Amino acid sequence: MITTSGPALRATATMIALLLSACDDKIAPPSTQYGAHPMLPPPQQYILPPMDVPTAVGWKNGEAPKVPAGLQVQALASDFKHPRMVYALPNGDVLVVESNGPKAPVYRPKDYIEAKVKAIAGSAGTGGNRISLLRDVNGDGRPDIRTVFIDHLHSPFGVILVGDRLYVADTDEILSFHYTSGQTRMTASGTRLTDLPAGPIDHHWTKSLAASPDGSKLYVGVGSNSNITENGLAAEEGRAAIWEVDRATGMKRIYASGLRNPTGLAIEPHTGKLWAIVNERDEIGPNLVPDYLTAVKENGFYGWPYSYFGQHVDVRVEPQRPDLVAKAIWPDYALSSHVAPLGIVFSEKSSLPNRYRSGVFVGEHGSWDRTPLNGYKVVYIPFVNGRPSGPPQDVLTGFATADGREAMGRPVGVALDRTGALLIADDVGNTVWRVTAAK
Amino acid sequence: MQPYGPLWHPRLIGPAATLLVAAFITDLIYWRTLLFQWNNFSVWLIVAGLVLAALSGLALLLDVLLRRIGRLAWWRFAGFTVSALLSLLNAFVHSRDAYTAVVPEGIVLSGIVTVLLLALGWHGWSLRAIAAANAAVAGGISR
Repeated sequence: MITTSGPALRATATMIALLLSACDDKIAPPSTQYGAHPMLPPPQQYILPPMDVPTAVGWKNGEAPKVPAGLQVQALASDFKHPRMVYALPNGDVLVVESNGPKAPVYRPKDYIEAKVKAIAGSAGTGGNRISLLRDVNGDGRPDIRTVFIDHLHSPFGVILVGDRLYVADTDEILSFHYTSGQTRMTASGTRLTDLPAGPIDHHWTKSLAASPDGSKLYVGVGSNSNITENGLAAEEGRAAIWEVDRATGMKRIYASGLRNPTGLAIEPHTGKLWAIVNERDEIGPNLVPDYLTAVKENGFYGWPYSYFGQHVDVRVEPQRPDLVAKAIWPDYALSSHVAPLGIVFSEKSSLPNRYRSGVFVGEHGSWDRTPLNGYKVVYIPFVNGRPSGPPQDVLTGFATADGREAMGRPVGVALDRTGALLIADDVGNTVWRVTAAK
Repeated sequence: MQPYGPLWHPRLIGPAATLLVAAFITDLIYWRTLLFQWNNFSVWLIVAGLVLAALSGLALLLDVLLRRIGRLAWWRFAGFTVSALLSLLNAFVHSRDAYTAVVPEGIVLSGIVTVLLLALGWHGWSLRAIAAANAAVAGGISR
């Protein structure tokens, strides 16, 4: 071709090299990306990004995820509508948030294809837009009463009780309800504490919740409105951030930013510090970028969209911001790439064996753009002196088949019930699992 | 008596080429403004151009099968085919997120396709061999 210029030739050569290399890359195992210093390979730019999802098949009768020796698991209840979050009230009642995102717009041909692919993996299940309540009256670990606690919500996710106020984070606002211990149905309607960044795109729709140790503030995790600013920077206003909301007035401010999708927040019980799990960016490689767990520094900037893990610049974002990149904080603990952490709970009050009582449980929903799969399990990360102190240990596995072709379930939110058992919401199996010490 | 009749495929190749050339223009605008919607315009233009290109291929097939075309201009056929294949590759490149959907590979591909199509289109959008076309014109039949 006489029209081919020098740069064009180089670009074409790069593309051919990428096409060829994409197939035979040796992918380092996830264990190389645990902890404070994950191995970070150079970023790739794909022609055809990998989309590898197991087909969602659900659990057959008697099937359950697997636990290591010393633990046992049973279904607490099933037949939910896309359960995303579990929360235990002080009287032992368990709330199950049944939810899914609002319908995503198709801005590009890719949006359409991605939605189809993710639907295979069960991500398109219709959310109940409600919170169910489970009560175990006789203490046998199985609920005897099941009610719809709050109905007609709008893509709810986070839920937390502070004093007599129950807060529910819909995708577009925090609702506040007056709660009386023992009630099985919320009769009073909620009032709006504050609005939250939502439509019309609402790419990362979940709004996670935590409360400050003194109960005066709520923290809200608000995810980005894109993978990496492909919907424009204007759409990212107030997003990829953790907001601090004053409970008395509803006034809010950004507490920390540059956190692409902070899907879970929790207070470390010894230090009282806020921790977050964060879903990092996609489509620059099977081992980029590791999702992470981190203590959240007040007014800290964690890099998104301009950089990841400190000063690793993402070339997909223009104009670049070297001034912000210079400030970007290296997060505390990498969980490895594309595990999609969606649930976090500190294990202090756990009744699991002692080795699980000083750390954090994390629900890993699992990858959709990586071969082999990563995540699809619940892990425990031990803490010493308020800091992570070892690699993640498997607590609940077997959500997907060994060959990665089928998924019976996918773990999301995690919580401890009043007895200290670990509860896990499973939005593909439509089940809540309960893990206890083996008898 | 019309041994050939008006050909079908040029009526589709023209619009297909127009959309693919337009994608180069929206790429240029994105590159200069960094406004994401131009990036989205580009990928839709390329995809729509590819759909019309596929229909052009079908129309050409019919023109050949029904013996409406006479001799095929193979070099032009190759040129259009290469343009379509590069545009298919470009659709994938343009499906990346944000800046690297366009710069540098995307806009380079759009540029190459634009030059190719404008060069090929200089002689119209028909794939009928010129000699055959001349014969047809000589016979009093317009393209």
